[in-house]
Amino acid sequence: MNRLKEEIISSFKGAKVSICEDNRLAILARKEDVFSILNFLKDKGYDHLELISCVDWINEKEFELVYILTPYSEKEMKEHIILKTRISREKPEFKTIIPVFENAKPYEREIHELFGINFEGHPRLTHLFLERDYKIPPFRKDFNTREYVKEFFEKIPFVEDKNENGKRA
Amino acid sequence: MDRTSIKKWFKAPGKMGQKYSLWAVYFCTGCGIIEIPPVITSRWDAERFGVIPVATPRQANLFLITGYVSLKTLKAIIRTYEQMPEPKYTVGFGSCPINGGMYWDSYNTIKHLDKYIPVDGWIAGCMPRPEAIFIAVTHLWTMIDKGMAKGYIKYRENYKYYRQNQEKLFGRLEWPPLYPIDDNEKVRS
Repeated sequence: MNRLKEEIISSFKGAKVSICEDNRLAILARKEDVFSILNFLKDKGYDHLELISCVDWINEKEFELVYILTPYSEKEMKEHIILKTRISREKPEFKTIIPVFENAKPYEREIHELFGINFEGHPRLTHLFLERDYKIPPFRKDFNTREYVKEFFEKIPFVEDKNENGKRA
Repeated sequence: MDRTSIKKWFKAPGKMGQKYSLWAVYFCTGCGIIEIPPVITSRWDAERFGVIPVATPRQANLFLITGYVSLKTLKAIIRTYEQMPEPKYTVGFGSCPINGGMYWDSYNTIKHLDKYIPVDGWIAGCMPRPEAIFIAVTHLWTMIDKGMAKGYIKYRENYKYYRQNQEKLFGRLEWPPLYPIDDNEKVRS
């Protein structure tokens, strides 16, 4: 872990690396470096993308994308690499990492529909779980669920059973 | 069978047949479905009450909505419900179909199931015990006896309004209307 930390610090200038637990390495990288770091880690043997996650830092006006990698081939290495990067909230765009890790497809689709981040080069950015279009994507911090429920679900009327005289049965 | 029910059998054999063969469609909605395996297997043998799970909606006449209903599930529920032959009975199981339960402020979970399909009875609780299912079934027997379980008739007569509510959620529905929704066409009853 320590050797890997030194290597990353020496080859990528803008990256901040810290070891948070015994077998966990967190990297905060600039968004230009993400591709090269992912390729670098893949060559090192961290060839399994566990998940991509997203955090909405509303006060800093940034989205944080989190990539978690783990070695797939060697059973002894139970190590996790957490690669974080920040992108701007006003223009949420990022490049897809499908050329590096192909299993990023559903994760990127999910983040697209829940956070509204546009992944350039993704072949199919359609709905994954949701059925409706939302004005603000629902996992953003400024999406007010209670207001949405009041505005939308509460306004759908109950179906009242009316008999021939128009009275309630 | 006790002697008093012999009279009922002669009086309304159809109703008695419907009562004692409630076949439930094995449709898993949300977390409540975890109560169904013990109910249908040997511990609380549901077949004592004539309730057995069946594979397809075309053979079923009881629909247990077990747990929260997301929009995607509701689409499947509507399609399943419309495929079931009449008479059909719906029972909402757990507090989520009643008023949203713990998902009362969720963006993707419907709050009142009876806005979209008719529901004959509710089982409150989170989770209800398996015994509650049998209480519901015996209640349903009484309702069928008295002719109160008329959810499917309500659906047929008010289909226009149910369809409107469903379209508010999904936009255009992919399947054609089950019953005529134009006022000029006469609704068959």
